[in-house]
Amino acid sequence: MASTTRTAVSPFLDPGPRTKANSLAILQLSRDNLQPVYLQSPTGVHDGYAEGAVVNTRYGSFPHSTMLNVPWGSQIRASKVDTGSRGRKRKRGSGDDACREATGASEKDNEDSAAAANEDSAAGVKQAVADSSGFIHILPPTPELWTTSLPHRTQVVYTPDYSYILHRIRARPGSVLIEAGAGSGSFTHASVRAVYNGYPSEGQRKGKVFSFEFHEQRYHKMKKELSDHGLGGLVHLTHRDVYNGGFLVDGKSPEAEAIFLDLPAPWEALPHLSRRRPQSSTSADEQTEWVSPLNPKKSAYICTFSPCIEQVTRTVSAMRRLGWVDIDMIEIANRKLHTSRERVGLNLNFDRGVNNSARDVEEALTRLADIEARFREHAAKPRDGDEDMDSGDEDAVPAGKSSGPTNGSDGPSAEETSSGVPPWMEGRLITRGEPEIKTHTSYLVFAILPWSGRGG
Amino acid sequence: MHSVVRPNAWVALKLPSGSTKVLQIAPNTTISLGKYGNVSSNLIIGRPYHLTFELQDKLPDENFSRLRVVPASELHAEAIAEEEAAGCSTPAAGAADAVISATDGEEFSLFDDKGNVVARSNHEVIDENARQTLTQDEIEELKREGNNAGKDVIAKLLLSHTALDQKTSFSLAKYKLLKTKKYIRRFQVLPIDVANFAHWQLEERDANKIMDMRAEMIGLVGCWGNVHFGGDDVLLEDPKASTAQGEEACLPVNQDLLQGRWLVVDDTCGLLVAAMAERMGVLYEDEGKEAEGQTEEQNGAAVEQAATATEPQELQVRPAVPEPVGQDNADTEMADASTTPVKRQSDGKPKQQKPRPSDFAIPYSQTNSITVIHGASQPNLSLLNYWGFDITSPNHPPHPLLNHLLNLTWLQLLKPELDTSYSTPPLTATPETLASWKPSRRGNFHRKRRRYARIRHIVDSTRAGNFSGLVCASTMDPISILRHTLPLLAGGAPVAIYAPTVEALAAVSDCFSVPRRTAWVSGNVPEIEGLSHEELERWEGNERFPLNPTLLQGVSIQTSRARRWQVLPGRTHPLMTERGGADGYVFTAWRCKPAEGKVAAKGKFKRRKVETESEAATPA
Repeated sequence: MASTTRTAVSPFLDPGPRTKANSLAILQLSRDNLQPVYLQSPTGVHDGYAEGAVVNTRYGSFPHSTMLNVPWGSQIRASKVDTGSRGRKRKRGSGDDACREATGASEKDNEDSAAAANEDSAAGVKQAVADSSGFIHILPPTPELWTTSLPHRTQVVYTPDYSYILHRIRARPGSVLIEAGAGSGSFTHASVRAVYNGYPSEGQRKGKVFSFEFHEQRYHKMKKELSDHGLGGLVHLTHRDVYNGGFLVDGKSPEAEAIFLDLPAPWEALPHLSRRRPQSSTSADEQTEWVSPLNPKKSAYICTFSPCIEQVTRTVSAMRRLGWVDIDMIEIANRKLHTSRERVGLNLNFDRGVNNSARDVEEALTRLADIEARFREHAAKPRDGDEDMDSGDEDAVPAGKSSGPTNGSDGPSAEETSSGVPPWMEGRLITRGEPEIKTHTSYLVFAILPWSGRGG
Repeated sequence: MHSVVRPNAWVALKLPSGSTKVLQIAPNTTISLGKYGNVSSNLIIGRPYHLTFELQDKLPDENFSRLRVVPASELHAEAIAEEEAAGCSTPAAGAADAVISATDGEEFSLFDDKGNVVARSNHEVIDENARQTLTQDEIEELKREGNNAGKDVIAKLLLSHTALDQKTSFSLAKYKLLKTKKYIRRFQVLPIDVANFAHWQLEERDANKIMDMRAEMIGLVGCWGNVHFGGDDVLLEDPKASTAQGEEACLPVNQDLLQGRWLVVDDTCGLLVAAMAERMGVLYEDEGKEAEGQTEEQNGAAVEQAATATEPQELQVRPAVPEPVGQDNADTEMADASTTPVKRQSDGKPKQQKPRPSDFAIPYSQTNSITVIHGASQPNLSLLNYWGFDITSPNHPPHPLLNHLLNLTWLQLLKPELDTSYSTPPLTATPETLASWKPSRRGNFHRKRRRYARIRHIVDSTRAGNFSGLVCASTMDPISILRHTLPLLAGGAPVAIYAPTVEALAAVSDCFSVPRRTAWVSGNVPEIEGLSHEELERWEGNERFPLNPTLLQGVSIQTSRARRWQVLPGRTHPLMTERGGADGYVFTAWRCKPAEGKVAAKGKFKRRKVETESEAATPA
């Protein structure tokens, strides 16, 4: 609870109109190819690049300087970046990857490129030169974009699941939410956005997420990530095994109204989430006063996230014994749809994705009749021995072609077909599922723990 | 969201039959639960939500049923007992007498090793009427006696069923459940929040009204639209315009203050707006109070000094100034009956002591707001009445939506000069003239001036653009909506469009297809040659390019479906039937700012097909 006052609002909650230095941005390389980047002000040669820090992608190289202080959503052109000599340099150098400081790199080098680099750092940073091709888009971070681009540590709770969960557990501005099993942090980011109603000043109660992570390495990574994202004041992350340790923070109750458990054994954690001391607790702690982590004046909503049905059975059984009501088990099936143009017909270009068979019975009929007529015409001619077979074939193929005026060299130019319909409007508009779908993520168990009305 | 039932709050009563009753809990009234009996509203008021109550037998000298809170252990008694029975190795041991258990696996072994029948398979069809020895009259008699909250009836029914021993354990459990649903006198009180309300509207009321929008879709649209709390309220300072001043005294729109605003097109009668308001923390009154409290700290000074020379005595909308919310203000009869104007009595307290703001004071927050664009002259947001907000009420008691919900028509957005209320300059009058008028005329004068200032602010600030996102659930063609709203979105702002069926969304998606985008940027499009960057941003569309295909990135369509399961010991499986109808689809994308001039994609360069090579390699 140390960090209370913060001047900078997280880019997840208010990105501002333009990109800023030392802040997270999401680079969209292609449709589903996203890359998170912390933009840096160019201070000099960086990692061997004269332009400062550079992002290299298959769509070109993008110095951070070209992505700073631009409106969000901007299309960024690739720059001409000297990647080649840098690569050679590093091979010849000590081979030390840790030596990323520009000064170190340029000191070792006495090549002319290094001289140029020195010149640049003296004069500032080399101005990026736009490349002739290649671009990306720069987007403000949102939990959805982060979820698709984040570094995986555990199984990720994806948007179709967390959007439904947050809606069902009533995570709203001002709510206090407990999350156990922070994992990769996708749910954490989404839940912060849901409960956010301003950064709390001293002693103020605002929407907050109390997150618990058992795995120490993940905890440290998560901690860094949250502070990098400006969410430190809104998420209280604790390194703890909640099965034994429970959910109190510094001995105090977080007073939560919403709970999300992404744990292998939710039933082990559930007794801690009672309103009164659970019966199973050991006699040793009976002397001490038992504090509930739940808000004593509100119903508590819970969701557990378990992949196996056996986990669900045990969780539901534990919930029934601990006084939870409205127990509801749900499985979310999400499908993405791709739209495309289905182009079928004999008189279409031989483009990729075009099915050059008859579009309908009439088209097939016309072609068959055409072939038949030519065949008869041919048969009527005097025969000439074994040429028969070949010429028959030769005739049949042009017969098909003749009904397709767009084929061959006499076809129309690139832009339009002879019918005047541009290629992107040809055919029927269709939707189809993506090639691989997630058929099962996890079972979601929802329940509510009412309060008695007498407090406590 | 309140944690207890407040007087006059809208609540949902869940009955044993599974149906829900949505009603307003007025004090000192009797609520009918149909065949389950009547309950006095005063017994519910002040109780926490989510408790299950049981109607007890009337005491001899009382004419109402007292309520008993049914503990969760009792609600789950059967399931717990079944689990325990299943835990024992011997079937039909102890607990099985008390409860009807279906977990012994008898279904699959009809005979035990001595050849005794332990359970029947369902080959013998049981005709229930023939086997139930109690007549309907006798059942009615039992119900009238009404002992033990209906549990006696259920027990008697089970005992007098002649074929009870012929039932399989599964059908027995089902039989008991059926009878329990019919006779047990219990109900649960649920709060009217967006999730509960939408569920009720979808499953039991009129799904059409909310465009078949299921909970999954509400969640998806909200998340992909990135709808969240958009910052503490920022109110503009009162210009303190005197009544002699006209439009020149109106506050100009300050673009720097505008942030955290979402643009909405809502044909779900306000459910979408309610869902967004819930996500932004401006739907429930007590939450609003907090926000308004802060507002006052920031702007109180301005409001306090906002005395004008003349003080209108008449009706006034004072949303920005918080005052104690009397729940009993809300006096709605039918919350969503949009045709009947909702009666609202103003609280009998003396008018505010604080000086009133001038006519040109803008009550709307510059942040954390929802701007609704509507096709009719008034927006249809009738469902918001369930949350105590009535958009048609001229003299509204305080509600957080009052200064966070802005609405304007498409005409006001696109051709404001044709809209009378926007283009007619405000009336002016010197204080002397004004003083000579009758109060009613004076009232009208102030009302019109206030109306003018508000419409002007809404239209100008909306046209200034820079919205944080667009969320849409509309029966209108989404392409036409996007054509006019895309220019209003800030760079990187998300777009989330809900539609019950996929066709319209597929058509939008096709406007941004890779071949179309490639053709657009190839430089061979005669119609866009010579157009400036700004003109392209506001591209009016033609048949070949209905929208500027470079304005959105990451175009995607998805659908989600929640499958519900029954979780019972030994009987866990997905539900056999669920609501069908429209699946519901969500279109998502981000607004982007295309670079000026020609941009070529990087990729493998094939000489043979010059015109299609870029297509294959175009990112997204």
